[in-house]
Amino acid sequence: MKVHRKILTHFLSCPSPIDKDGYLYKKKERTGVFRRRWFVLKGNLLFYQDRPADRHIQGAIVLEGCRVRADDADSDFSLVFQGLRTYRFSAADRHAQQEWLACLATASHGYMSVLLRDLGLQYRAVTQSGGASSGSDPSLPSPGTLPLSPLPPPPASSSAGALRPRKSPKPWARRNAHVTPIRGPAPSSSEWPRVDFDPLTEFSKLHEVYGAEVRRARDAWLRERPEGDAWLRERPEGDAWLRERPEGDLIHL
Amino acid sequence: MRFNEKELISLSRQPSEMASELTMRGPKKGDVFKKRLVKLVVNFLFYFRTDEEEPIGALLLEQCRVEREDSLTFTIIFLDEAERKYQFECDTEEQCGEWTDSIIKASYEFMRKNLIFYRTEIHKLTGKDPLEQYGISDETRFQVSNGLQLKARETSSL
Repeated sequence: MKVHRKILTHFLSCPSPIDKDGYLYKKKERTGVFRRRWFVLKGNLLFYQDRPADRHIQGAIVLEGCRVRADDADSDFSLVFQGLRTYRFSAADRHAQQEWLACLATASHGYMSVLLRDLGLQYRAVTQSGGASSGSDPSLPSPGTLPLSPLPPPPASSSAGALRPRKSPKPWARRNAHVTPIRGPAPSSSEWPRVDFDPLTEFSKLHEVYGAEVRRARDAWLRERPEGDAWLRERPEGDAWLRERPEGDLIHL
Repeated sequence: MRFNEKELISLSRQPSEMASELTMRGPKKGDVFKKRLVKLVVNFLFYFRTDEEEPIGALLLEQCRVEREDSLTFTIIFLDEAERKYQFECDTEEQCGEWTDSIIKASYEFMRKNLIFYRTEIHKLTGKDPLEQYGISDETRFQVSNGLQLKARETSSL
């Protein structure tokens, strides 16, 4: 599979925020030797190179579908990709180990997505209850540009098949694709499940809802793919990862 | 540059709501439109030959702009020096709109900026930091001043 490396290297070198950087020892899988490398965490990607100033990037690890695990009390930790590879690291000391663990545990796209959805709900709740100031507040988007409507109910048949395009129940308002509401909130998605509990206190429940939806989508997808069974056989513990996640344990996200 | 290919291929098999057969054309001179199964998983756009299990390729949807060419076609332009363009042709106007929206919203950087916007606004309106209850207020990832400019922009470039 071709991964367009220039896109990755450009992403690393562009001025978007760096979430964490520093030296870590990385264990070479085959030889077992630890090599010191400079790591840069940006979004859900962990890049590594010999030294900070190096133009050559040695590698990138995509942080999706993995768990973070402390291996000992002092400095070692791992990134475990269920049924696939485990990356082992050694930090300088316990403090560094804890910092990296915290950062890597919350680096996935899924985590950001759930958090964003949660805050989006809170924002709507606050602005719809009249908490917003009247008059032209430059920080709020003008009504004409964004469909700030209340969350519609979930579609009747939620088909999450990998091969069929979904028909969205509500057509998107016509917008120039050039303009992203950077300054404003993301438009509400008609595909997000309705949440009928108070998101302000029930983040762990949101995890459940999200996890349940992923499970349903996955089951539907597996049913529809002819080789679905083969995929399951290859990773028997796939479902266990979702089931075993204790409530609110961010490390397992 | 090495990357975790097996894990990325595994990611390409995750269920996705955005998976369609589109025709796609690469950035090089002489590239022609070819039918591909295009699938969006997190901030990666995978593309497969129809009925093949392993994707032909994966595009990271960061530092890119999405442009609507016409009612059925959209282009993803990567903002590196080469400004590589990947064009996609859809079956319907609605499908085209869904794809452009989904790709924009899939970017991690886009999500981060929206999250910071919500955080700032909720704090302004309620006096409370919504991230405090999760114990993540101090994380670098969610800081307003983390190299971001909260100004309105004219393009969807991220």
